[in-house]
Amino acid sequence: MTTSVQTGTPTDPALGRAETILARWAPVASRPEPNRLDVPVPAEDVAQAAQALGRERWGYLAAITGLDHGPEADRLEALYHFCSGAAVLTLRALLPRHGGTVPSVAETFPLAMFFERELSEMFGVTVAGTPDPSRLFLPDDWPTGVYPLLKDVNPQAALAAQSETAPPRLQGKSDGDRFIVPIGPQHPALKEPGHFAFEVDGEVVKGASVRLGYVHRGIEKACEGQTWVQNLYLLERVCGICSHTHATCYALGVERLAGVEAPPRAQAIRVILGCLERIHSHLLWLGVAAHEAGFETLFMYSWRDRETIMDLLEQLSGNRVNYSCNVLGGVKFDISAEQAQAIRRALDFVEERTRHYLEVVSTDTLFLGRTQGIGVLSRQEAEYLGTVGPTARASGVPIDIRVTHPYAAYRAFPAEMVLDTAGDLTARFVVRMKEVFESGRVIRSILDNLPAGDLTVKMPRRIKPAETISRYEAPRGEVFYFLRSNGSDTPERVHIRTPSLCNWTSVLTKAVGAQLADVPLLLAGMDPCFSCNDRTVVITRPRRDPQVLSWEALRSAARQDRRR
Amino acid sequence: MTIPPIIHLLFFPGGLFMLALALAYEYVDRKVVARFQNRIGPRWFQPAADVLKLLIKEEVTPNVTHPVLFVALPVLALAGSLTAALSVPILGLNPALSFPGDLIVTVYLLSLVTMSMGLAGWNTNNRFSLIGATRSLTQVFCYEAPFMLALLGPAVVTGSWRITEILQTLDGQWIVFSQPIGFLVAVVGLMGKLEMPPFDAPKAKTEIVAGAMTEYSGRGLGLFHLGKIVEEVVGLSLLAALYLGGVSNPLAFFGKTLALLVVMAACHCLFTRLRIDQTVGVWWRYGTVLVLLQWIAVILWRVMTA
Amino acid sequence: MKLGTMFGDIVSSVFKRPATQRYPFERVEAPAALHGKLIWKPGGQCNGCSLCVKDCPSDAIEIITVDKAAKRYVMRYHADRCTYCAQCVQVCRFKCLEMSDTQWEMAALNRKGFLVHYGHEVDVDAVLAKLSKEGPDATLTLAAD
Repeated sequence: MTTSVQTGTPTDPALGRAETILARWAPVASRPEPNRLDVPVPAEDVAQAAQALGRERWGYLAAITGLDHGPEADRLEALYHFCSGAAVLTLRALLPRHGGTVPSVAETFPLAMFFERELSEMFGVTVAGTPDPSRLFLPDDWPTGVYPLLKDVNPQAALAAQSETAPPRLQGKSDGDRFIVPIGPQHPALKEPGHFAFEVDGEVVKGASVRLGYVHRGIEKACEGQTWVQNLYLLERVCGICSHTHATCYALGVERLAGVEAPPRAQAIRVILGCLERIHSHLLWLGVAAHEAGFETLFMYSWRDRETIMDLLEQLSGNRVNYSCNVLGGVKFDISAEQAQAIRRALDFVEERTRHYLEVVSTDTLFLGRTQGIGVLSRQEAEYLGTVGPTARASGVPIDIRVTHPYAAYRAFPAEMVLDTAGDLTARFVVRMKEVFESGRVIRSILDNLPAGDLTVKMPRRIKPAETISRYEAPRGEVFYFLRSNGSDTPERVHIRTPSLCNWTSVLTKAVGAQLADVPLLLAGMDPCFSCNDRTVVITRPRRDPQVLSWEALRSAARQDRRR
Repeated sequence: MTIPPIIHLLFFPGGLFMLALALAYEYVDRKVVARFQNRIGPRWFQPAADVLKLLIKEEVTPNVTHPVLFVALPVLALAGSLTAALSVPILGLNPALSFPGDLIVTVYLLSLVTMSMGLAGWNTNNRFSLIGATRSLTQVFCYEAPFMLALLGPAVVTGSWRITEILQTLDGQWIVFSQPIGFLVAVVGLMGKLEMPPFDAPKAKTEIVAGAMTEYSGRGLGLFHLGKIVEEVVGLSLLAALYLGGVSNPLAFFGKTLALLVVMAACHCLFTRLRIDQTVGVWWRYGTVLVLLQWIAVILWRVMTA
Repeated sequence: MKLGTMFGDIVSSVFKRPATQRYPFERVEAPAALHGKLIWKPGGQCNGCSLCVKDCPSDAIEIITVDKAAKRYVMRYHADRCTYCAQCVQVCRFKCLEMSDTQWEMAALNRKGFLVHYGHEVDVDAVLAKLSKEGPDATLTLAAD
């Protein structure tokens, strides 16, 4: 295990290098923020620019954001965000609002496969040459030609027109000679719905595919209709175990848009809660992964010990989940001396238990038999597939936003990266357990030197037009927010790219060739958070004429589906 | 005192009494596991309530290959395990049906439960149950052989294949001290036959939903469950009778079988589920080798002392 | 070869009290900071600015003006829409709002109890009477949104 401490990589050299690589388009480049470079690129040149960046190994593709400027401006932009350390480079491609085309960058950056699917289904942009043009988040029976994130979309009309036809069945793969084991949407292995189809020969997996979007709630679109303040609480509910992550990332971004910085005490409290969230998320993950492996006892004990942190969070914030600690401009509550003592005591207990769990997962022979040497992801593979978070750090990839691009109080109280080189399931367990210790250390160092001062700073209600990018290290990896304001009190665009979306390719690649019994652990090993994954699009009104099936009809329909 | 076979089969100590005993043992098992995991566990009537609920619940019959088998196999499973109880000294009472070779017949009747489950899994034509059935049958073959050989250890020592004769000849002797390896193999074999964790790959909830039982609900599932827990009690009694110095009175019966149950519950809690290739691969080699070594030791001993 | 690494845990648990909370037979006191039901105590301070209404992410608060000059308002609180975020508590300039730490067992068999009216009894009765007379869509004087 190696650690590295950095106080944020300097961005000028990286951005300068990027300008050299993209020399053809550099004259029109601009620096909207000190660490960002915007390079407008004609739509047809996007793949070339991406290839140039890939050849020179400049960073990784973080997200592809679609941005609709509205029917008056009559243009659309596709933003390709690349990150290298703290530097963020954005290729901006202008497109017509209808029928725009952009070449695929998935050859250089395999992760783009997911982002391009999202771009095309949400904005109607055709991505030429993308390996998989099927829907990512939208349901299969969503009407074609209706692109939810366009400003003037009218889904009600389309849904009304469509309600005449019967809902199509889920596109199952025809079996033929292949034996397909479906995991999800309903399956005891999954805590949230998702559909995985594993083609199996005996006990060995031969092929894997994933269908997401079952928990799609329309959050990105909903953000555009609510005020900045209200969105804070909507975004908190993107996910239950990383709720503080989303709220803080958003709050930091909005504060940057407004040109305001929250006071140091508030930033410190945000980080304390973020570290506590990381601890309880990793303990939750430990229990869930143990449950997937069939080790119920470890599941019971780790969740019992996690309750200490949950009770602590309730003491501090008033809620066990969705702490609502953030306001735009600071935090809502303070941490008193007694509460600080309570935190320290809780940390003592949890750290002692985590030491025991670390010993269990790294020395128990039978458990190692299930995890050691399984799902080995080499560093090159992890970097190529765009993996983020503890899954990547377990393969030795030094990616951790707290270290490379520190935010909030991480500048004053730096964190250390926890790395491992084995890249197998055991390494993923070990990295997460060690991160619990690291988070505990950060909390203690903050509590010992909690900065004095106010908890909030005044924030304007209307934010002047600007764009910003906010990045945060969630327990699962990098969360990437793109925020754009338009001078009103509602956002113009909120785009969220969550870490789980980046880690699917690694799981699917490793599942092929593994035993079927290893598949739940492989899925759990990347700590998937389906709620984080599926966010965009309006689905708020039920169908005009809901289908009413009699009991017999429903049962016979269910039996129909069972005929193989 | 020998109870008439028909009473033994239907009421006491087989039949209804056996079902009640099995439910009680399931309660003890679940409660002990819960306490090991620092939880409260279910109340005393929970297993009975579960079975009652299953029996009165509607059964959905999926589109199966053989509908008759779908209904008959659960009955077969329960019948097999209840019949096996006829030859085993439950509560220390004389078994109703005792004949030369009843040790082997009892063990095979116990396997009938798992084989019915495997066949039922194949029958229901569901992906998960097919995989579960394959795993189940593979596992039962793999654990059956060492278990049988381990139980025959006392048989070899006493020179008889009849349970009552073995017990009479042993007369309270604790074979576990002279054949410890055999005892270990027998316990692991029993856990494998019962598909208790860590050998529960055939019904791995997080991989194949419920394995062979995936499509069963209601009465079929209730009967399979009863068959399984009766098999557990019969297996425990066999082990206690043969290895732990016989069960001459109810107190000894309860004490020894419950102690064994607690040990098995501890194994349940301590180990993570093994993959099917690990359960089969490891045990098929080591289990059989160990028990054969034990046999060789026993036979040599007999030859030398005869 | 280490087998059964959790042996110490399971043995010691036999002699320990189970960790399960025996709710509802044993109730644990909630911490003081708990976000329970919203309580409105204007104390004559509330001037109907309605920032709490504007900022609520789920439209759980409504302010009905009875007499603006005399600072008499009725607050209608939808406990079933509330997300217990305490943004309203944060934004009120006169600290009229707080979240209870004792009233958090709000599960009920029907939704009647979730519509809470705060204010002077006289005012609340008047509002409720108007509602029952003119139906749920009666036009009440609502604060400008």
